[in-house]
Amino acid sequence: MIAAGLTQRFKVAFDPNSQVFSLAGTIRPRSIDEIAESIHALREAIDAVKGVLYIDVKRLIQMNNTAFQAFIRVALDACRERSDLRLIVVTSSVVGWTTRMFRHLSTIEPQISVEVYDSMFYPGQSFVEDTSFIPILRTQTKMTWRHERDILPRHGMRPGIAMADICCGIGDFAVLVQKEFEPGRIVALDHSRASLAYARKVAADFGVTGIEYTFGDASEMLIEDNQFDFVTCRHSLQIFNQPELLLKELYRICKPGGRVYITNEKNSHCLGEPRANSIQWTYTEVAKLFSHFEMDVELGPKSRRYLAEAGFDDILVESFMVTNLDGDPQDFADMIAAWENVYAGEMAVKRGDPPEFIERFRQGFRDHIFAALHPKGYAGWPIWAASGRKPL
Amino acid sequence: MGASVNKTTGTAFEPLLQFDMEMEIFLSDWQHCDHVSSYLARMISHNRTDPVRHSNFFSSALNELLEVSFRGGTTDGKIGLSIYRQGVTERVQLSFPCPPGQARFYREAVSRTRESDAEARYLDAISNDLAPSRESVLLDLAVNYDARLRLDEDAASAITLVVDLPLEGMVS
Repeated sequence: MIAAGLTQRFKVAFDPNSQVFSLAGTIRPRSIDEIAESIHALREAIDAVKGVLYIDVKRLIQMNNTAFQAFIRVALDACRERSDLRLIVVTSSVVGWTTRMFRHLSTIEPQISVEVYDSMFYPGQSFVEDTSFIPILRTQTKMTWRHERDILPRHGMRPGIAMADICCGIGDFAVLVQKEFEPGRIVALDHSRASLAYARKVAADFGVTGIEYTFGDASEMLIEDNQFDFVTCRHSLQIFNQPELLLKELYRICKPGGRVYITNEKNSHCLGEPRANSIQWTYTEVAKLFSHFEMDVELGPKSRRYLAEAGFDDILVESFMVTNLDGDPQDFADMIAAWENVYAGEMAVKRGDPPEFIERFRQGFRDHIFAALHPKGYAGWPIWAASGRKPL
Repeated sequence: MGASVNKTTGTAFEPLLQFDMEMEIFLSDWQHCDHVSSYLARMISHNRTDPVRHSNFFSSALNELLEVSFRGGTTDGKIGLSIYRQGVTERVQLSFPCPPGQARFYREAVSRTRESDAEARYLDAISNDLAPSRESVLLDLAVNYDARLRLDEDAASAITLVVDLPLEGMVS
């Protein structure tokens, strides 16, 4: 159900299979009558379930007291009528007021509990938010920036625009963009408080002001529709288990006529000479390893399809190869060493791989480093940059 | 627009913005509460640590205050809204014309937000009432937004609510 009025820009949905009733958007009615249909939908959902009903308000952006009291009235009455009923309200740590308002329900009514959805926005989050990942991210951005500085204008980057960097990580890309292209506004969003704290520090250290860093879930952002001329989302669709959901949000916040720019890898195409076979084997295994954790690091060449299916037009796709010949080969080697630590040292161990596999897996990374530092060697990491225009 | 003084600490709140509107126009459309709160929240939050989340939080509180003035105000005169800042706190000063005799209601309602049983009163209201009263909305601000409220009574036919919202610390 979608309520389309200006004060009822919200959606109400009930999934009987998972017993989830969800409220999303902005609900600020003048009177209960305006939301009578939605109130009735909650009553019906409660009647339809046995045991537990989840009330999902993670995407509830605004709700006034009129709506709040009307909905909780139904929930409280139902609990008083049915001793078998249990209601679990799921709020988001991103939307501060929801947790503070809904927390009282468990005090008033023991059959209601309130859970805050926070730490696990997607399956691979614990790996990529580990602080040991920060050196990888810094080195990667430094190496990709040499290419993207030239690529970005072809995809719509220009001075004065409003842009958003979604899944900004430690914020170094936003800082580089601010210094190089001077957009009028940059909002940088990430789901890691630690990364954002680091990002704010980096910006302060470099005397960069004007970047609006914000904590949020990229698949359920607080940012309003049609806000930005240019939306970037780098190396993130590939580590998100539902990339189409993330793209839908990127599309939503992009202005009509604006562009969404994404970069992704195809890890199995990492290469090097000498020792090409060992390197190729390891990176094919990297792709399988990420797949085990519901991440697709082979997504790069699929960018065109994803953008098209999300509704974008005028899609541009290009690829570039970060290599050991870009600047200092040691940077490339350091990046591979960091990959080895996380992929072989943590992820493969977590998957339960035997020591002999892990040793062979590590050898491919070491051979990639060997190729990068070899005086006649060549080592590469391919990346696909793609963008699409949101139709007018 | 001058600075506003914190009566507890004696330090000044710096003015951020001031907004005035003919009450008759304001009362002509309920959506003004939503639009004004969202727009002003975005404006004053841009240099907070997390502008998007601060704006969302602030808009939520400001909208409730505007809805109080919408439900309790009269058409003669103007609604005036000033926002100040001191450290982690924004001060909202909201003036609006209201029927004679309303000052006592607001005086008592604001006073109850500072009493030790404010949370119990709030829980009782949301447990039992079908729709929120203006009093329970003010309690909501005190309980859920850690707001400090007071009333300035400078004119017989107008109400000025002064609400300090320490949201920056709660967001970050």
